[in-house]
Amino acid sequence: MITARPFAWPKRLLPGQAERASTDVPATMAILMPAALPRRSWVHSWLFWPAVAVITFAALWVRIYRLEDSGFNSDEAVYAGQAASISGDPLMLQFFPVFRAHPLLLQSTLAAVYEVTGVRDDVGRYTVVAFGMLTVFACYLLGATLFGREVGLLTAAIIAIMPYHALVSRQVLLDAPQTLFNTLSLWAVARYSSTRRESWLYIAALMLALSVLAKETSIILAGSFFIYFALVPQRLRWRAVLVSGVVFVAVIATYPVSLRLAGSSRTGGAFITYQLFRRPNHTLTFYMSEVPPALGFGVVAAALAGIWLFRHTWRDTLLWVFVGVPAVFFGLFPVKGYQYLLPIAPPIAVLAARTLLRWQAAERLSAPPRRGVWSAFGIRLRMPIARWRASDRLRATATESRWLPVALIAVALVSLLVPTWRAIQPAERSTFLAGTGGIPRGRELGAWIDANTPTGITIMTLGPSMANIIQWYGHRESRGLSVSPNPLYRNPVYDPLPNPDLAIRRNQVQYIVWDSFSAGRSPHFSQSLMRYVERYKGHEVHRESVVERSRDGRDVDVPVMIVYEVRPL
Amino acid sequence: MAFFLAMMVIGLPTAWGETRAIEAQSQAERTPTRTPIKHFMFLMQENHSFDNYFGTYPGANGFPKGICVPVDPEKGGKCVKPFPLGGRAISDLGHTSAIFKAQVRGGKNDGFISAFAASGDPTQQAMGYYTDKDLPYYWNIARSYVLFDRFFTSAGGGSVWNHMYWVAAAPGNPKMDSIPEQGFGNIPTIFDRLEAAGVSWKFYVQNYDPSITYRTYLAQDNANRGAQVIWAPLLAYARYLDNPKLFAKIVPLEEYFTDLQNGTLPSVAYMVPSGASEHPPGSVKAGETFVRSLHTALLRSEAWSSSAFMWSYDDWGGWYDHVLPPVVDAYGYGFRVPTLLVSAYARKGHVDSTTLDFTSALKFIQYNWGVPPLAARDKAANNLLTAFDFSSPPRAPVLTPDTLDIPPPPVSHSDVIYRTYGIGILVPLVLSAGLILGMRLLRRRVGGSEEVT
Repeated sequence: MITARPFAWPKRLLPGQAERASTDVPATMAILMPAALPRRSWVHSWLFWPAVAVITFAALWVRIYRLEDSGFNSDEAVYAGQAASISGDPLMLQFFPVFRAHPLLLQSTLAAVYEVTGVRDDVGRYTVVAFGMLTVFACYLLGATLFGREVGLLTAAIIAIMPYHALVSRQVLLDAPQTLFNTLSLWAVARYSSTRRESWLYIAALMLALSVLAKETSIILAGSFFIYFALVPQRLRWRAVLVSGVVFVAVIATYPVSLRLAGSSRTGGAFITYQLFRRPNHTLTFYMSEVPPALGFGVVAAALAGIWLFRHTWRDTLLWVFVGVPAVFFGLFPVKGYQYLLPIAPPIAVLAARTLLRWQAAERLSAPPRRGVWSAFGIRLRMPIARWRASDRLRATATESRWLPVALIAVALVSLLVPTWRAIQPAERSTFLAGTGGIPRGRELGAWIDANTPTGITIMTLGPSMANIIQWYGHRESRGLSVSPNPLYRNPVYDPLPNPDLAIRRNQVQYIVWDSFSAGRSPHFSQSLMRYVERYKGHEVHRESVVERSRDGRDVDVPVMIVYEVRPL
Repeated sequence: MAFFLAMMVIGLPTAWGETRAIEAQSQAERTPTRTPIKHFMFLMQENHSFDNYFGTYPGANGFPKGICVPVDPEKGGKCVKPFPLGGRAISDLGHTSAIFKAQVRGGKNDGFISAFAASGDPTQQAMGYYTDKDLPYYWNIARSYVLFDRFFTSAGGGSVWNHMYWVAAAPGNPKMDSIPEQGFGNIPTIFDRLEAAGVSWKFYVQNYDPSITYRTYLAQDNANRGAQVIWAPLLAYARYLDNPKLFAKIVPLEEYFTDLQNGTLPSVAYMVPSGASEHPPGSVKAGETFVRSLHTALLRSEAWSSSAFMWSYDDWGGWYDHVLPPVVDAYGYGFRVPTLLVSAYARKGHVDSTTLDFTSALKFIQYNWGVPPLAARDKAANNLLTAFDFSSPPRAPVLTPDTLDIPPPPVSHSDVIYRTYGIGILVPLVLSAGLILGMRLLRRRVGGSEEVT
């Protein structure tokens, strides 16, 4: 029988004041936690290791399933190209300068792998899959540290099959390694808050620095740390803060030091200028429409429900700060990318896992409000006694059910697995959202160009995205028509074609490649490109097509890439 | 009924054209040859000497050291050394047989400036020359393919004689360097030999106007375009003009590109330019761009691996050349001219010093396709075979750059990256692992839980 008791606003609990998470575990979940066994005797739990095996298998499966079916997208070509250049590949060195916009943690790691395996696109993807798998493990550590091992396991399971993380960690992008080190730094902060050992602070600084070396935008998470420590006062010795700061700066100094030693010290400044003046590439609501389905609506709902269900502790503060700061920053930053918010996936997964496992013991449910849910917000309403008694009975049924939590977890995991499965199918499509996978037919186009065009030719593409793909697979110099001659508005790495007419008339451009992906983003430049094809007697020599379903249900070939020979008049 | 007849009329030429196209393609590839060359193209540009273009080319027979040509060879005294032209404007120097003789000056070969004394040429332009900076594409071609440094014009005169030697191994008009009023009559051409042997051929003319022939070119309306007839000698043959089958093989240069695209390039093709001929005062850069466009089109076609494309200059244009032309008969040779050959089988970076002239191309065609010679000149001429290496597989197509500004190979900075990032990544990982291990060891030694309660 549930006893009604007055509901009070949640008190903020500081690190060290939090009750042990294990005491909140409902009986049904006790089987997942070896609480009755010696704390380090994980191997004795009959369910623990099989669960680890299943999670590992699922994570690996969704990350390597048909991984090589489609070729690189533009960003993948750039990062893999940088890695190939670092490894000294003479062909790639012509097209992919080593120093570009970002630090080189992933690229240098991949370059070391290339030294052993040779330069291949599948090797790049498998390397990033390894980072993704390590992130699954890091998520377990994070969840286990904050809320116990069973929450850790469920967090790992969620991340393992989350569409967002699965999809991005199948691509040679910087965000997967960035997320790994972000998660490890978050874990280290959680360990510090739990133990007060300053070594964890140093580890957090080291991991955050590695995250910055993966992708410089992780620097904003230093702000997350500041906000967290401001909101959750903990005794921090100045010496520890100083040492952490020094360690952090010393590690991230790798980037400017390497630029300096290589004589490219102005590169970083040029890119910062470019990033600051870039035009917005998506609307303000882009992340609100793309990220929640990628995280899983059930996961997001469970995470948000935890705000209402549970008493707020420093753990919640830590996790929500690490969600909120990137979300606000990237939401406001004009340049948006599908994968930029990947670092919020692990904390969201932890919050969701906590809710799915602990909701039966949530304070909100164990003490039903006298006047209904609105009293939780200080709003007193009259409620019919009958309705109160009905909700009380429902609550009692739910919190005492043994199988409802299992069912909810299963529904949540299936709701992730289905969209993930769909997302990782190699889709034949004529439009594309950057960051969601490989470009269909790009590899095939590049291979054709490599085999059928003279070495040393120059190709004009619609934009730099296709140019990067052609340079990776086709090994031919390519330039985007849409690259602005204004240095404020163009990526410093790309050379513009200030006068395409003159370039074609002087036989300095011999081919034009049109693609539907770039055309979809920029109809204006697509029309411009086709005008050059017409003006300079463009002759189609090759096309790549995908099969799409038309409105009347028929399968039709839709051209996605067309190669034209052009010549001076 | 009328409709179907109309359709047949419309459809037949198209079908016939397509059939002929397929036949031509098959014919060129199927026609037996003595070398792997199935397509031979020869472009004739205008009016430059070898020293004018390649006098300073390393490894070629260029300017002798210390050369200085007297302004007045009779009196001696002041002399003029060769000087770089750069981008300065140039005028059309005289290049008649009279000028030729005045410059050769009985074998002394020192009358290049004095030959223009009558016209009072103050610039002494004849001694000017271009360098790699002015002709980057041609020099890059020479470095990648074959440059002939002993290729003479067939006649010591101007365009008409030399163009006739180019097609017929004969001067055409023995009396003067001009087109006879009645045309060239029955002088056989290489195309007659090819036609008789069933070998496909075409004569591509840039900016072609089929109405301008030897019968009409002197008319006022055609004065500016009259050079077409000189440069395309077949337009001065009645039998070529009056035979539709033969006349149909003199075509606009546009067809060269479509023939390459359609795979219908003939076995033998001669080409003449229009505005981009490099004929002074025309731009040499424009000529380079034009030639490069023809070369590029060939490179990206399927015909590349079985083709040879060469270009030369119909006469020396009055420019200085230090090599005295050998005398082979009453007409030739004339001075050396720049001649280059590109082919998948061309020797790489080869300077060929075989004594050659325009009839050497005829010799090669006759040798390769097994047709008889035309006259004593081509019968005695040297072949072009020394320019080829048929023992090696055909070279892959590589576009020759039109600039000398080849950027240095980029540096990978591998050592810097591996060292800095190696330290930057491994040290934090090792430190972190060490700290974690240290904490665990400390906990074991101290005992108890790590958690703060």
